[in-house]
Amino acid sequence: MKKAENLSTRQHRIRVLGGLPMLIIGIVIVAVLAVLGLTDGSGNTQRILIKMCLYCTMACMWNLLSGFTGMTSLGQQSFIGVAGYSMAIMTATYGMSYVVGWIVGGAIGAVLALILSLILFRMRGMYFAIATWVIAEALKTWFNSWEFVNMGGGMFVRGRPDQTIIFVLSLVLCVVAIVLIYFLLNSKLGLGLTAMRDDADAASSVGVNIFRSKLICFVIAGLFCALAGGMYYLNNVSVYPTNAFGISWTVSLVFIVIIGGVGTMAGPIVGTVVYIALDEVLANFPGWSNIILGLIAILIILFLPDGILGTLQKKLHFEILSQRRFSKE
Amino acid sequence: MIQTIINGIMLGGIFAILGVGMTIIFGIVKLTNLAHGEFVIIGAYASTLLANALGVDPILTLIITIPLMFVIGVVLQSVLINRVMLQGSEPALLVTFGLSIILQDAMLLLFSADAKKANVPYNSSTIPLPGGLYIPVLDLILLVISLVTILVLTLFLRRTYMGRAIRATSDDIVAASLMGVSIKKSYAIAMGIAMATAAVAGLCVGMRWTFYSSSGSSYLLRAFGVVVIGGMGSIPGALVGGLVFGLAQAFGGANYGLLASYIVLIIMLIVRPQGLFSK
Amino acid sequence: MSEPILKVEGVQAKYGDFIAVESATLDVPQGMIVSVIGANGAGKSTLMDTIAGVHKPTAGKVYFKGEDITGMPAEKLVTRGLSLVPQGSRCFIRMTVEDNLIMGSYPKSARGKLKESLERVYELFPVLKQKRNDLSGSLSGGQRQMVAIGRALMTNPDCVLFDEISLGLAPTIIKDIYARIKEISAGGMTVVLVEQDTQRAIRTAQLCHIMLKGKVVLSGSSKELTDEEIKKAYFGL
Repeated sequence: MKKAENLSTRQHRIRVLGGLPMLIIGIVIVAVLAVLGLTDGSGNTQRILIKMCLYCTMACMWNLLSGFTGMTSLGQQSFIGVAGYSMAIMTATYGMSYVVGWIVGGAIGAVLALILSLILFRMRGMYFAIATWVIAEALKTWFNSWEFVNMGGGMFVRGRPDQTIIFVLSLVLCVVAIVLIYFLLNSKLGLGLTAMRDDADAASSVGVNIFRSKLICFVIAGLFCALAGGMYYLNNVSVYPTNAFGISWTVSLVFIVIIGGVGTMAGPIVGTVVYIALDEVLANFPGWSNIILGLIAILIILFLPDGILGTLQKKLHFEILSQRRFSKE
Repeated sequence: MIQTIINGIMLGGIFAILGVGMTIIFGIVKLTNLAHGEFVIIGAYASTLLANALGVDPILTLIITIPLMFVIGVVLQSVLINRVMLQGSEPALLVTFGLSIILQDAMLLLFSADAKKANVPYNSSTIPLPGGLYIPVLDLILLVISLVTILVLTLFLRRTYMGRAIRATSDDIVAASLMGVSIKKSYAIAMGIAMATAAVAGLCVGMRWTFYSSSGSSYLLRAFGVVVIGGMGSIPGALVGGLVFGLAQAFGGANYGLLASYIVLIIMLIVRPQGLFSK
Repeated sequence: MSEPILKVEGVQAKYGDFIAVESATLDVPQGMIVSVIGANGAGKSTLMDTIAGVHKPTAGKVYFKGEDITGMPAEKLVTRGLSLVPQGSRCFIRMTVEDNLIMGSYPKSARGKLKESLERVYELFPVLKQKRNDLSGSLSGGQRQMVAIGRALMTNPDCVLFDEISLGLAPTIIKDIYARIKEISAGGMTVVLVEQDTQRAIRTAQLCHIMLKGKVVLSGSSKELTDEEIKKAYFGL
């Protein structure tokens, strides 16, 4: 009883940064990014911004799964890799436009998510986490010995458009992903999701359709990871099984979300900026980047368990984009 | 066919010892240790490099690697993982994940990306059996080493105060602490034991197959598979799981062994997500 | 009355923001059977957990044998002679009966007396000797409770807290277990019984404490307390 009162008073104290001011800030940020990217032609700034948009899209999706629905996936690279190969097969093997490759990749990603949900939704917690990883590893092993995709030798994407076009598409994708998640989490479904993550049994007993909510999130995450993955490999031109289905994708996404704050909506955005900046700097120290990233991640879990944004929100009692988990207070 | 089954059974010991370390941490510390694959590869490097440096049979290096890895495990659990576990199981999972990528790249820096293998004179010796069948000597030795390790571990858990305390911790931490058991100490010892089994598993991997600094994840996933088949915390279950993956490896051969193991694991996860032997 | 073996002074215990024990004060004299009575949710179990070191108090003091043991963890308290039989027995279900009992002699202070203690427990509960090699998970509720009691006795305690050991058991088994507790007490051990059943508690104990909504509201010897007083305190009328 006492706990409930406490929470509601705390809720009053939190200033939610949302609605109109947030919309304006968001538009300004997007506009600045667009101007920065578009005035740079095919330069370095544009390259970094593309990377930022794509990682941000994927990290937001990982956060949707892990932070809001309690499905910690270690295998989003399945969708990224499948889309990367779709892009290469459509453009190189069948000589079609990258647009077709992109759409096909996204569709395959969504369908793959649907199929995998049949297997994965029987599991919870760590079983779910490891199963997603096993599936990605199995795909990697399969692609490594599949002649149609040139086995371990990898493939090349044909007909890569101008980098500016890739930049625009990446930015649009990222904005759509964030807006979609915002509306998803502020819908009735979102409330049910948070309830479900905190206590699946209780949530189902009050009528939250767990299966449907989880499925919607999982398919959306699959779709957007695939779209981001397809765009990434279009920009990258070459795709190999070891990197397309590599665990290093998950390493990056986990890192971004932990740094930003798991289960906060804007956390992945902040995390992406930090991660890309670190990644650019660490590129000068080959071999050390994962060691340093890993150390930073462990230190953050130890000392800032809510991430940068989560800690700031707790200290300052404000919130960017409402939808907040009330558990673990 | 019969020869393939014999080979599979021989390999079963390696996969069992691989899974035992994982199942102990699962069952007792209630932690998914995503760094277990890297621990095994560390064991493999330790044995291979020590054997080369000292000019002895790799098996003898266990005298050094087992106690060393045990101590590392105890320290790791006491200093880092016990602290993170206070925050819940997900942060702990992510910390072991962070540990895994750190170790993987640290090994790449230290030992380069080259393939390694601990070679011994009896590498391809065989013991002939009637009917044109044979038993590979190396596999037989590794099977015996794995089984002896598992036997010693079982006796320790059954017959000693510390072993009982660890089992009690796994059943009920509150009741165990009421019996005077320090839970953190139990966890630390359990992690030490898991690391010691990783030293043995590493030796087996290093003697049986070529390995790379990045091989950890494929062994982690098979270790996890052994746990899934055998049930969390069950040592007899790990033996059965090891056998299944030994057979999958033998039937899949060098090219499809890994894929076959993954498929077995996925099927197991679909059919019995809580393990064959768990209630 | 001599100096009490266990003294609880103004102890407060919380779960998160929820206050389970607001302020509990009670004395347990050496060698007596003392009962703590109260309705469901009165805070009895939390108080026992807090005394035994399973739960940390947020205020107040606990003294055992004259020493301040406030906030000391369970694994240390058991070596000092304070033992708790937790609610719901909590056997180590994947261990045999005998292994469960041997776990009771895990504290270094108790290891030397393993054999005698084991024999004493088997004498007290002969059925456990028959089932010594069975997994405790396969036992009936009453037998599990016996294992839990035996296990606590194996720690060689001076004072044992029994938390609702009659919960969910058949009346004949409860009667039998209570008879054993009287035997244990006759051997000189101090016993604290937590009960919801006031009648049984008063019959067994020499001293009663009644808890209501996280506080000890009435204390007195079983003979002096009237039914009317107890009923009032129990229901907070």
